[in-house]
Amino acid sequence: MSKFQRYLFNKFLWFLLAFSIALVLNFLLPRLIPGNPVDSIVGQMSQGGGVSGESLEKLYAAYIAEFGLDQPMWRQFTIYVGRLAQGDLGTSFARSPARVQYLIMQALPWTIALMLPAILLGWIVGNILGALAAYKGGWLDRVVFPTSLFVSSIPYYCLAIILLYVFAVHWPIAPAGGGYGYDKTPGWNLPFFVDVLRHYWLPFLTQATIFIGGQAVGMRAMSVYELDADYVRFAHGLGVSGNRITAYIFRNAMLPQITGLALAIGGLVSGGLISEIVFGYPGIGTLLFSSIRTSDYPVIQGITLLVMVGVLTANFIVDIAYGFIDPRIRAKTTGES
Amino acid sequence: MATAAPASGQISTRPGAFEGLRRSIAVATAHNRRFWFSLSLITILLIFSLLGPFIFNKSNPTKLIGGLYDPPSSEAWLGTDNFGRDVFTQLMYGTRTSLLIGTIAGVVAIIIGVTIGTLAGYHGGRTEEALMAFTNIVITIPSLVILILLSIAISNRSVVTMGLIIGITSWPWTARAVRAQSSSLRTREHVDVARISGAGPVSLILREILPYMLSYIVMAFVLQLSSGVLQEAALAMLGLGPSNVISLGIMLHWALLWESVRTGAWWAFVPPTVLLTMIAFSLLLLQSSADEIFNPRLRRR
Amino acid sequence: MILKNVRAHYSTDDGPVVRAVDGVSFSVADGEVLGVVGESGCGKSTLASVISLTAHPPLHVTSGEMLLDGETITLTNQEHVPPGWQGRKVSLLPQRAMNSLNPTARVHDFVIDVLRAHDSTITQQEAIERAQERLEQLSLPSRVLDSYPHQLSGGMRQRVVAIISTLLNPSTLIADEPTSALDVSSQKELVLLLQLLLDRGFIKRIIYITHDLPMLSNIADRIAVMYAGEIVEIDNTKAMIDTPRHPYTRTLIGSTLDPDPRVRESRIEGIKGAPPDLRNPPSGCRFHPRCSYVMEICPRETPPISGTDTNFYTCWWLQEQTAAANFAKVQK
Repeated sequence: MSKFQRYLFNKFLWFLLAFSIALVLNFLLPRLIPGNPVDSIVGQMSQGGGVSGESLEKLYAAYIAEFGLDQPMWRQFTIYVGRLAQGDLGTSFARSPARVQYLIMQALPWTIALMLPAILLGWIVGNILGALAAYKGGWLDRVVFPTSLFVSSIPYYCLAIILLYVFAVHWPIAPAGGGYGYDKTPGWNLPFFVDVLRHYWLPFLTQATIFIGGQAVGMRAMSVYELDADYVRFAHGLGVSGNRITAYIFRNAMLPQITGLALAIGGLVSGGLISEIVFGYPGIGTLLFSSIRTSDYPVIQGITLLVMVGVLTANFIVDIAYGFIDPRIRAKTTGES
Repeated sequence: MATAAPASGQISTRPGAFEGLRRSIAVATAHNRRFWFSLSLITILLIFSLLGPFIFNKSNPTKLIGGLYDPPSSEAWLGTDNFGRDVFTQLMYGTRTSLLIGTIAGVVAIIIGVTIGTLAGYHGGRTEEALMAFTNIVITIPSLVILILLSIAISNRSVVTMGLIIGITSWPWTARAVRAQSSSLRTREHVDVARISGAGPVSLILREILPYMLSYIVMAFVLQLSSGVLQEAALAMLGLGPSNVISLGIMLHWALLWESVRTGAWWAFVPPTVLLTMIAFSLLLLQSSADEIFNPRLRRR
Repeated sequence: MILKNVRAHYSTDDGPVVRAVDGVSFSVADGEVLGVVGESGCGKSTLASVISLTAHPPLHVTSGEMLLDGETITLTNQEHVPPGWQGRKVSLLPQRAMNSLNPTARVHDFVIDVLRAHDSTITQQEAIERAQERLEQLSLPSRVLDSYPHQLSGGMRQRVVAIISTLLNPSTLIADEPTSALDVSSQKELVLLLQLLLDRGFIKRIIYITHDLPMLSNIADRIAVMYAGEIVEIDNTKAMIDTPRHPYTRTLIGSTLDPDPRVRESRIEGIKGAPPDLRNPPSGCRFHPRCSYVMEICPRETPPISGTDTNFYTCWWLQEQTAAANFAKVQK
């Protein structure tokens, strides 16, 4: 095995290890709830009334059997892993008999449709602004930098709340939340699509704005650091053209930004959780919110697993990609040099 | 994990004295202004949250003084919330709780992070590898997820519990930074001198390494405190905040749940939003300006 | 090469101006190595930036011109240097080789950019071949071209940087503390390389800037001593080491020519008092607050230049001593 292959192999082992730990945590932590989660959920149902004693007992037995809650812990874990391997995340407590994966798959496209374009737009605009602010300096820097710094220091959910209020309530130019109007039924038709767009642009621009601020600050810092680097002075002193030097600078400043992009995409589910709640947008965040309110542990666990898988995979990909892109990392991790 | 930290590992025997001079002039003017500004903002926040109830004689945040979302009046300066409680009083207590949780989280994170970081940096070798591997794994697993899982597992969450769980999920960044610092300190002359004169590892770490990282640790604490406040708010908005108390996040949680935004009851959500932003902004400003003062070489332009 | 009346300062937005180089003039003959020595903060690195035409804000050059191979350039407008000067007539060998090469590009990529910046007709292949040839002429392995900077050792990296900075055969090489981060054997190798470049005629002269006087005595033909932005003495190396004249040179030599480098390091900082604050330099002779031979006139008036263009000093006390000696001679 070459050193580089060993590096890849190491990174893969890392990924597996982190993933196993995440899996164990995801399995174990909700089971730390005193008593039995099914007790509490069935108890809540019986309090609500309307469910007969007999069907409650059936429900109870069904849950116990499904999660193997009468079995020892290790057995429960193997059941859990075995079902996961088949892509089965279990049955929702609150929306029985809906499967968790079904609920997640219904919400996930909404989240991706919101977050992915917002991250991409924010990344592109943020990097351009940051690079220009660093490179041109002057008034641009004096405007862009403090603005970005301020925007990025506002907690993102606060920004979401304020923007929703300003643009949907104070000046009602956007609908006050939701993914589509209550009078519409989801379907692949034009009126529905137009309605979705009408509801989409405000949460979208909010997410993009949040991302622009952070990216611009980061890119500016990296560019300023690179602009000041000794290699810039040396190349300049040898008469190398400004364009070539700019190319060096931005290549080097971009490397960490690309990492940032990959990690943001990997973390897009968790990145949008709270904004979705603010906007009442029908994505994963809103599903999580309602699951927490109804103590729907299987759904919560499904969502936390989804977030972990996304983040861990993005980290893994970044590590691998960096090994290829950046000679410094490659050298450090493979011990060549 | 691939994180890019610009490494300036260059040993420059003679840092340009003029650069230094130019920069210290800059520090003395512009940067200190930001430092003092952030410090006074924080003082105002502390006075508001700790002494506010006595100053304004409003010390019962749970008292019902009106109906659902009564607008601001001479009695309720910032109106009432969805339960009919005084928003202004809630705000003082909420800020107090949020800062308290942030402080506990910060202290916990600093204790864990500094311990792990210093041990790793000081010992090097296997110890360092093992500790850093552990740190890297904790970094990779998203802390919000662990916080959600922990919070649903603990049904009765006190302020201390909240601070603890936020603290034990947020220390890795500090551990990393501290390790880098302490492993560079380990080879310094004064540490060697102390080692030769027979100092044990504990006294070496306590006397020769930690004091030199103090400014660094204080700044890391400020960052951890600020992120603790924001983490609490995020959890609270998900419905996983501390039980039976008021925090800024819990205020937002209720405001969202009871549609204050859509009904135009701005007094229910604008004040906690502003307070959270103020806390985050002032702490960030404090950290960055203090960083510039303590580590003048980091400064550019 | 003749340098005339260089003045440069750092300006801050609202702070006072730091006059880092204040009226420096000297000349360097063909084939000569001129050493420039001084404490940190005396303006020697600033001088390197100005002569190598790489000054950029907040450093501003307020006056000065350079005569080089029959052409004259005013040094005040360094934002727009006429083509053909940077890298060809003057070239900088910078202080920190570690960071002087783009960390994410192979050495040959940079070589291509450097050569093509001066001759756009040259192909990538030709550029690499030229660099290979140069490396072979200097008995260095040509495979370094395919390396990334971090793959080279510190000493090798500095030698590669030296080769690149002289690739265009600049007539003057300005070496700004090139050995400050190197171990002793790498220092020696670099000095040998510079000597070789000069002997082979790739470069015509070197201005070697350092705080390391012992090192300079091995390579320089003449030495200029800088203090507080001014040159206080220029003399042939041997004469200066054996019989230093200016009081500052005396302290400098007394404190640095100790065989133990660590003692030297500590002593050079150990000269009585601190280097002056150049925002507000001392009146008259700038060395007077630290001078053990200080006279009543020193704080009042700037000492005149005594001697020739290539060999001079500025000191009231020395002038008096010389005058007294001459008077004594006449008396006899």
